[in-house]
Parts: sequence; C-alpha cells; structure tokens
Amino acid sequence: MRKSATEDRARRLGAFDLQDPPSLEGILKCVHCGICLPQCPTYRVLGEEMDSPRGRIYLMRAAAEGRIELSGTLARHLDLCLGCRACETACPSGVPFGQLIEATRGQLNRRQVRAPQTDRALLGFLLGLFPHPYRMRVLLLGLRLYQRSGLQALVRGLGLLAPFRRLRAMEALLPRVPAVRTTLPEVTPAQAPARGRAALLIGCVQRHFFPEVNAHTARLLAAAGYEVFAPRSQPCCGALHLHAGRIEEFRSMARAVMNSLDPDVDVVVSNAAGCGSALKEYGHWLPDPRAEAFSQKVRDVSEVLADCELPLRELPVTATYHDPCHLAHGQKVRAQPRALLRRIPGLTLVELPESELCCGSAGVYNLLEPEVAAELARLKVERIRETGARVVATGNPGCIMQIRERCRVERLDVEVVHPVELLGRALRDG
Amino acid sequence: MELSRAFLDELTRIVGARGVVTSTEGRLTYECDMHTFHKGMPDVVALPETADQTAAIVRLCRRERVPVVPRGSGTGLIGGAMAPSGGVMVGMNRMNRILELDLPNRCATVQPGLINLWLSHATREHGYFFAPDPSSQMVSSIGGNASTNAGGPHCLKYGITVNHVLGLQVVTGAGELLWLGGKVQERPGYDLTALVVGAEGTLALVTAVLVRLTHLPQGVETVLASFASIEDASETVSAIIAEGIIPAALEMLDEAVIRAIEEGIGAGYPKGAAAVLLIELDGPHEEIAVQSRRVVEICRVHRGLEVRVARDDAERALLWKGRKEAAGAVGRLTPNFLLQDAVVPRSKLPRIMREVLAIGARHRLLIANVFHAGDGNLHPLICYDERVEGELERAKQANEELLQACIALGGSVTGEHGVGVDKAQNLLLQFAEADLNFMARLRRVFDPDGIMNPGKLLPSHPACGEGFRPRRPTLPDGAWV
Amino acid sequence: MPVSAPALSEAIAAIVGREHALHDPSGLAPHAVDGLPPRWWASPGDIEQLGRLLTLASMEGLAVTPRGSGAALDLGNPPRRLDLVLDCRRLDRVLEYVPEDLVASVQAGASLASLEARLGQHRQQLALDPIGGASRTLGGVLATNASGPLRFRYGTARDLLLGVRFVQADGTVTWGGAKVVKSVTGYEVPKLMVGALGTLGVIGEVTLRLHPVPPASGGWLFGFETETSAAGFVTETLASTLQPDRLSLLNDVALRRAAQPVSRLAVAVSVSSVPEAVASHGESLEKLARQHGVRSITSGEGLWQALAPALDGPLALRLACEIGRLLPWLGQLEARVARLGGRIAALGEAGNGVLRAAVLEPPLERLAGEVVAPLREELGAEGGSLVVERAPLGLKKELDVWGSMSPGQLDIMRRLKHEFDPAGILNPGRFVGGI
Repeated sequence: MRKSATEDRARRLGAFDLQDPPSLEGILKCVHCGICLPQCPTYRVLGEEMDSPRGRIYLMRAAAEGRIELSGTLARHLDLCLGCRACETACPSGVPFGQLIEATRGQLNRRQVRAPQTDRALLGFLLGLFPHPYRMRVLLLGLRLYQRSGLQALVRGLGLLAPFRRLRAMEALLPRVPAVRTTLPEVTPAQAPARGRAALLIGCVQRHFFPEVNAHTARLLAAAGYEVFAPRSQPCCGALHLHAGRIEEFRSMARAVMNSLDPDVDVVVSNAAGCGSALKEYGHWLPDPRAEAFSQKVRDVSEVLADCELPLRELPVTATYHDPCHLAHGQKVRAQPRALLRRIPGLTLVELPESELCCGSAGVYNLLEPEVAAELARLKVERIRETGARVVATGNPGCIMQIRERCRVERLDVEVVHPVELLGRALRDG
Repeated sequence: MELSRAFLDELTRIVGARGVVTSTEGRLTYECDMHTFHKGMPDVVALPETADQTAAIVRLCRRERVPVVPRGSGTGLIGGAMAPSGGVMVGMNRMNRILELDLPNRCATVQPGLINLWLSHATREHGYFFAPDPSSQMVSSIGGNASTNAGGPHCLKYGITVNHVLGLQVVTGAGELLWLGGKVQERPGYDLTALVVGAEGTLALVTAVLVRLTHLPQGVETVLASFASIEDASETVSAIIAEGIIPAALEMLDEAVIRAIEEGIGAGYPKGAAAVLLIELDGPHEEIAVQSRRVVEICRVHRGLEVRVARDDAERALLWKGRKEAAGAVGRLTPNFLLQDAVVPRSKLPRIMREVLAIGARHRLLIANVFHAGDGNLHPLICYDERVEGELERAKQANEELLQACIALGGSVTGEHGVGVDKAQNLLLQFAEADLNFMARLRRVFDPDGIMNPGKLLPSHPACGEGFRPRRPTLPDGAWV
Repeated sequence: MPVSAPALSEAIAAIVGREHALHDPSGLAPHAVDGLPPRWWASPGDIEQLGRLLTLASMEGLAVTPRGSGAALDLGNPPRRLDLVLDCRRLDRVLEYVPEDLVASVQAGASLASLEARLGQHRQQLALDPIGGASRTLGGVLATNASGPLRFRYGTARDLLLGVRFVQADGTVTWGGAKVVKSVTGYEVPKLMVGALGTLGVIGEVTLRLHPVPPASGGWLFGFETETSAAGFVTETLASTLQPDRLSLLNDVALRRAAQPVSRLAVAVSVSSVPEAVASHGESLEKLARQHGVRSITSGEGLWQALAPALDGPLALRLACEIGRLLPWLGQLEARVARLGGRIAALGEAGNGVLRAAVLEPPLERLAGEVVAPLREELGAEGGSLVVERAPLGLKKELDVWGSMSPGQLDIMRRLKHEFDPAGILNPGRFVGGI
C-alpha cells in the first residue's frame, strides 16, 4: 500500500528519506570483495576507491546507516559514475548497482544536494533539449547551417572553442546533420510471411542524427516478417532523466511513451542500447502493472533479428564489435549482435579486447566530464587499432559518436556504424 | 590523530593534489578491505605514482612519527589494509604497470598495483604465466600478493608467492629505498627478499616486484567429482596424494557453496551433492592422461556419484570462475559471514571436517566450506545474521573453536590469508614467547620507529612491546663459582 | 668475569657428557677451521643441550662454529676467532614423518642419505641433491644453501624449508615458520636461516616439504662441440613445454673427470614422470638436440651419481649470473684460467644461471688478481657474483671469498647481525662483508 510522498519524506533510512530510497537489501548484498574495481571505467581512469562501485556502495551504505549525510562530496563521486553497469556484470553477489545509484541520485536531486564541480546547468540544458522535438528542430536547423556554411571548418581550424572545454566537446561529437530531413514511414509492411507486429522506438538522437539507422532497422524487421509501427508522435524514452536521477520526470516520460505506442504489438524494438535498457526497466520504476507488461515486450533489434532468417549478400570486410554498456551490462545482450554480424558472408569478425569497457559516451557524460570520457575513448580506440579492423560496429548512437570522434582525433581510418547498417547493406532486396 | 596543515602540505607536494584524499567521505571508503569486520579510517590517503614518491612519503612519516599503512586493491581478508591507528594510508594501485618482461630469464618486473591476473594475461601469449593464483586474482595486486605471501588453488603444485618472487624494490621503515634480490637466482648474503614477502607491510613498503614466470604446461585436464558425503570426498583426497599424484589443484566445495555458485553464475556444479572435488592436472600430455585415468578411478572407488572431465577450455574456465567467486556468491545465502582461513596437515582433513560440522551444529549456524583440500587449507564460511540477537557472538565462538581445533591437529592459524589484525592474537596459540620476541626484534631492524603498519602481524604482548629486552638466559648448572 | 679454561671444559662436559666433549689440543687438530683449531669441541645430543652450550658461549664470549659432516666447513672467510666447534651430528633423528602429509621434521644432524633411505620406503624424496653431498647433514646443506641439479624443477632450500627450530646466540631455542606446507604466520624466519652460515642462529631441527618420487625416470647426455649449438639447445628446451627435472651443463674437463663420454660441452637432462611421458620427452629432446647439431647422445643412466669427482679439488668457485649468460661466462672463466696455465672442470645449472667450477693446476699467485677480481667486477655489473667456495688458506687470506654486495643490503644485514648476535660469537668474520 503506497504511502504518500509526504509521509515517505518524513520517514528515514539513515540520511535517506523513504521516497524511492536505494534498496537497503540491495546495498547489503555487497560483500566488499572488490571484484568490480578493475571493471569500473572510473576506477581505471581515476584510481581511487571512492570512484569505484565498491566505494560508491560503501558511501550509500554509510548514508543509509546514518554514518554520513548526503553531501556535495558524496554527490560528486556519484556524478562521476558513468552508469555503465559493468560492475553488475562482475559482481558475484548480485548487487543491483544501476538501480541503487539511480535511486540515490534521485534523492540527491530532489533534496537539492549538489556537487559544485558538476555542471548542473549544462545537464539541465541537455535534459531539457533532447526530449523536446521543437527545441531539437531548432538545434538541428542551426547545426545544419553551422556545418554546411563553412563556419564549422573555420571554428575548428582556428580552435576557437579551445577555452570552452565542454562546448568544444559537444561540438566535436555532433555528427553531420543529414542535408535532407528524411522521415521514417509510420507503418512499414512485412516483407516475408508475417511473423508479428513490432513497435519501433525511433529515439530522439537516433531519429535526428542517424535516421539511416532507423531506416535500416525498419527494413530489416520487415524483411524478417514484422509489420513495423513507428509513430512520429512518440516522445523521448526518458533514459537520460532516469540515469540522472530525475525519477518523477522519468516516470511521466515513461507513461507518455507507453501511451504513444500501440499496446497490442508482439514486440517493442529498440536500436539504441541506452533507450532499450531504460524501457526494460519501466516495470521496476512504475507501479502501474502495464509497465511491467510493456517491459516484458521490449527487445533490442539484435535480439529480434537473431532468431530470423535474413537473405544476405556478401560484404567482405574485417569488422570488430564494441559492446555498448547498456546492451551488454544493462540488457545482457552480447552474443546476438556478434552472431548476426557473423552471418554476413565475407565479413570477418575480430574480437575486440576489453570490448565491454565503456567508451566514455554514457549518455551525456562525455559532455559533462570530458577528461574522463576522453581517456576512456583513448583506451577504446587503442584496442580498436590493435584489431586491424576497418569497421567498428556498435548498437548505440552515443557510442558511435564518441568512437567516431576519437578515431578522427587519432587519425584512425575506421568506419563506425550500427550493426543494422552492415546488415542493411548486405540485405538482398525483393 | 590530527595531522598538521604543514604535514598535509608536504604530503601534497610529494604526490600532487590528485594524489591526496582528505575528505571524510573519501577516507571512509578506505577504512577497511574485504574484511569489513575490522575498520580503521586513515587520516589521509596518499596515492603515489613512483617509487621515489613512496620513499618520500615514508621518510616524512618517519620524521613525524605518523603510521604508514600500505594498501593494494583492498581485497585482503584479515584486516590488513585498514588504519587502526590512523596515519597515512598509502594506496599503491596507481602504480600498476608491467615495467619489463624478460622471457629469456623467465621473469618480469612489475609495479605493485598491477592486478595479478593481468600479468598472466600479458604473458600468456608468450607461453608463460604467474603461478600464484589466489581466488581474488582478478582484482588483487601483485604487491598485495607479495606482502601477504598469497596462495591459491594452484599453489599445491607450484608453490606460494614467496617461491615466485625473485626480488623486490622496497622502502624500509627506516626510509631506505633499495632493491633486494634480483634476476640472478643466487647471491651471497641473507635472503632479505623472502623476509619481506609475507611481512604484510610491517618491514617495508613494496614499490616493485621482480617475479618468476612459469612456463605454461603442455596440457591441462580438469576432473569434477561429486560425492554423497564430505567424508567420501576427504578420503578421496588422501587416496590421490597417497598414489603419489600431486595435482595442480585439488579443491573441495560443499553443498551450501555449490548452491550459492549455481544461484549466481551457474558454473555447472552438480546441485545436491554433499561435496564436490575439482581436481586439475597439468603437465606433459602423457602424464596427465595417465594421472587423470587414475584420479577418475580413485574417485569412483571412493563412492564418487558423478565423475566427469571438462570437455573444453570454456567449461573449465566456467568451473574455475565459479570456484573463485564462491566467497562472493555466498553473499546470496546469508547476510553476513566470517570467512575463515586455517590449515591442518593433509592427513587430518577428514577429522577436521567432522569437527567443523560438529562446531556448526553446536552453535546452530550454517558453515559452508570451500577450500584447498590438497594442502589441508580450509576456508569455512561461518554464516550468520547480525540482526538476529546472539548470532554474531555464536559465530565468533565457532570461529575461535575452529582455530583451536586446527592447532590441536598440528596445523596453523592461517594458510594463505595472513595475519593482519584478525589473527595477530592467535599467533600466541602457535608460537612461544621467544619466537614472537625474535620476530618483534626482526621487525625493529627494518622499522626502528614502529611506523610501518602498526598493530598488524604480531600480537600486542609483552614479548613484542616497546622497550622489551632479550630474556636473560638462565645460568647453566655448575658453570663457575 | 673471565672464567678459567678448565672450568669451561668442565661446564661443557657437564652439558653434553664427558665422552662428547674434547678440550685436549691433540684431539682438537682435526676440527680446525681454515687451519685454526678450536679450544673445545662438543657434540650435543639434543637441541636442549645445543641451547645450553650456546648460552654458555654467549655468557663467556666464546666464538662458535657449528659443523655437520664438515664437507663445507671451510666455506667462508677464515674465522676471526674460534673457541668452540659445535658438532651437530648426534642430532640425527627423524622427529615426525607422516607420508600422507609430504612433510618431515628432522634434526639438523641427519644426513641426506639417511633421510633419503627413510623417505624412499614411501616413494618420497627431499628434492635437494648437492653434488657429492649424500653424506652432508641437513643443517649444513641449509646453512650453506647448497643445491644441486634438481633445483631446476623443485627449487632450492628456500622452496623446500617450511619450519626451523634454531638456537639463538644467547641460547634461546626458537621456532620459526610452520609444520604445514601452507602457512603465513609471521615472518619467513626459516628462509632467513638458509645460507646464513649459522651467523644468526644454529639450526637444530628442520621441517621440510617432500615430493613423491615419480614412477619412472630417464636421463640423456647430449654432446656438443660449440657454445652456440649447446646454447641453442638449452634455450629452446627452456622455451618449450618440456618439463625436465635436471638441465645441467658440463665442460670437457668435467666430463673426463666424471668418466663420461667427452665432448666440448654437454647438456645433461633428466626427466621423471610416468614411463610414457619419459619416453616421449626423450624423443622430443633428441629431436631438438639434432636440430642444434648434437654430436653424440648417450644414456644418462647413473650420470648424476657419478658427477662428484668432477668437482673434487682444493679450489672451487661458484658463479651466478642470468640464465642466458651462463655459457658466455663459462667461456670467460675457462679462458682466463687457461691464460694462467690452469683448467677448470665446470658443472652448471642451465635453467638457473649457476655454475660450479673446480680449478685444476691452479696458478694460485695470480688467481685472485687476474681471474677472481676482474670477473667479479664484470659479473657485478650484471648482478652476478663469484664466490670462492673452497681454496687453500693462502689464497683465502688474499681475498674476500664472497665478493662485494650493495651497501644498502649489507647495511640491513649488519643490523640483523647486530640485533641477534651483538657479541659476534656465531662464526664471526666468516660471512659476507666480514659479518
């Protein structure tokens, strides 16, 4: 029987109140073994205990036990967490780190406990930007102009943004906006004998910056026998808000997404790891029973296509695969993208060492913490270079942008694409 | 203790602002290692990146009489990497590179913060590995392994860390930065390298380790046998050794541990068996073929229920992953546990296992068991719930009785985890005053001012205290008038 | 308060029994060390007597030298002083041996041969095989860190010694280490005693790690004519997955002295395992040897038992270097001694970088200056060392048998000596740096 938010706020779990607190049971699962440490990107880069999962859980536990207050220092160490969940994969005790940190961030946000070093203004700006179609259109227009007028070349050439590290990071990451705005049809009929009905989440970054990924996705699903529904009115899935701890806003965005998609589909498909992961957690965060039912239907595109017959042409290329954190750790999907790529005749898939180590994108992390993100990108591209592959496939727009940019900086001539792009290129028409 | 502003400033000058942790929240995360039972917050944490910085830190601390507490990955189980007297915790984790791989000399020079498994990964393609493989090896550091003389399942055949350390670069408690030992395997003089191994940071801080690399064996075979009783499994262990076979590893897991592992990662252990033996043979192909046949026969003769050989590397890797994460997985069965580490002579294994069961029954607590049966090194996990009245007390009692039982059977209070603070008083069970006195004096030679990890390794006892002088020998009879 | 010699003689006799003590100069000559006879010789019957003897010695400031078989009694610089020789050979019992534990606790005066006989009954062994050392005592072998070819597979005393009961300079009987193969309780005190020449304490009892004797073994002697071919064979064997227990190098002089087929350089290999593996190793080794131009392959049956005569002689050196440098250094040593008109018989451990050489027809007057000193300097630059294990007294007085050591390490050693033997009664002056 849910109590009122006011009542929850009055009661306590140490320094936390009882409105969406981190689960004490989850925190207590940690046996302090440290197996998560070498898998944690921030521990790898920063090398200090409080920026490791074990350290962060220890602080959450100390807060829950009333040993410390929720402070700006505590907030800072949690802000530095990428939310990649590699620790969950490593943990032998099953600590639900992702949910613990989201809940803790929720409390910090709601109670306005801030870390001075974190650029909350920028975070707020970004969270206000991506989910709003009108604002995005304005941005895109401006960006298209900026990129195609020669202004970008000038700015980059003169290094004008050098003193503004975050702005420069953002500028560097954003891909070339397509010249012509393409729109995905709202319904794509099935090609093969009907297998079912699929709702496609077109995403806010994906639909504007990588419309070809959505196009390939729809085409492949259709070729596999799905009737694909991609309503343009669907809003942002709320992943960024969830990861930032803006729980209530996330909940309303989740409800909006569920309302915008036909509940009567067989599968809800996502082609962006971060979004898919959030969708699969609607059931955990929303008390509404239909949220759980919704989450049960969510699949990453690679999970769906892995079971399907696809007529594929030769595509001779040496490729490697980077595991997006929210696909590998968040959704435990690792084998399917690889299996799909291996099915392409002529494609040689080389394993990427440390493929599961975060590339540093982590939603908008690379814009908020460019130094840590750059170091992770550097490590990632070093590994990619070692494989000798010409193509890197990865199922998340953030990762694509991050890795692409780093390859450019390091002058590594490698194409970075979504796996569906490769599959799409190999797909035989008709 | 209160550290002066001047002290903190000088420390910051040595390691840089990024190398110092002063916030309460930060230092809190350093107050214990995996043994959360014993906590001690340092007054400041320093994270050096070079041996020179490390030496400067120790010299500063010696000058100001501030305790120095080294820390690797913080995965110890004996209350080692915690600061009961405050002081400076020196985290070596940022010094984590391989400095040199010298294959012709079968050795490597590494920084202390390098993770154990990462060294073996790096040398594997060249045909070598670092033999000491504690269960924590995917996170514990080589420096930490050296300081605690870590063991692991494969030390049954290959020996423990001290057998694989050829040299150490150290900073002694007197502030000297020097190399002990070296690539040349023999030298005149005292074996100072061996002394520092296992000294738990009480003699010196380790800033580089020269390790021996071992050639990968020709072949490996892993046998998994399940039994209806721990008794049957223990007897099988004895029979294998009596046969003259020394496996590379010979591990036993009991029903509770298997349950925990299978609930977690599902490593392929047979659920429902009272005990399981994980037996690994490595070496020349013909040798392991013959030995594996014999081992399987022995298991069957001793009432093995299911005996199988791992089909491929993947299956073998999964079995070992399960074994190595066992302690972590037990967290699924119980809110709290005391992970014990004790040894008995191999021949006493069946008896100690009976005793462990009896102790568990007596104190109405579940004691799960995973251990290195081949060398009599037990790891009972005494499970309890601290929220239930009296369970912690009963757990501590059971713990004590268990250690006493091991000593009574001619064993040791710690097989591989070390002493730290957890076992310091227990050393009194195993050593006489004269023996502890000798060690205390040895410690003072390296650490004249007592700043190196105080409160660790040796018990607080008059024989080890300050100002103790050697016992005046008794006069022999009739020596003189 | 100085006590008279007769009173001390009485005191010693009272401790060990009259028949186990000597104070008459004529009887003491055979117990001289580097020509210096002691004033007393005593043979304690148990560790408690050993303790009381040391207590007495420490009270009276008597310089003490422990001994076992005496085979390595002259290892070290000539003693600064020598009052009492402690003969530990009566401490020869096996105290505890449970075959299933593969651990044995033995008194220090027991000989390797007697222990081997006892362990052999259960198909077990102590894997320590100093050449010609069967009659040596455990205490002596450990105190001098003696080792043999088996070290390649099984390690040295450092890897085989688990626990030690020793007597400190003041007579306190002290235990260090453990009685089980895995124990990390306190400091590695046993390892401190290894190779310490008794300068920190006299070893009374030891607890040792044992190994099963494998069911079968085979040995081969591969004869090569050039350093390059021998080196190539050794390097490739080391880099392979083959698991020999011995990998020794012999030069022509050593081979002749040991009555073995002679070649310029020979590599002697032994393998112990199940018969199938021994046979297979033999084939692999032969193939490898042929690839490196081996000139002769003969059976190594009984080889290691026959090697003692190779290293016999009044002048013995021990050279240690990096594994890959062993053959070059052997060449250097041979050349330098040859320039002075001498020869060396050399036996090296190819996988460990250790070489022992008997210097024959030694040109004593120039050896120190033209062989030992320059080699030490060059070796030192590589972290190696050259120890004069045995030499005529005249030569020993000319040089330090150990060579130099890094000042930092020597300082710590001196501090240890000062702490545990402040009066300097345990083998004074015989160890590194004059300790």
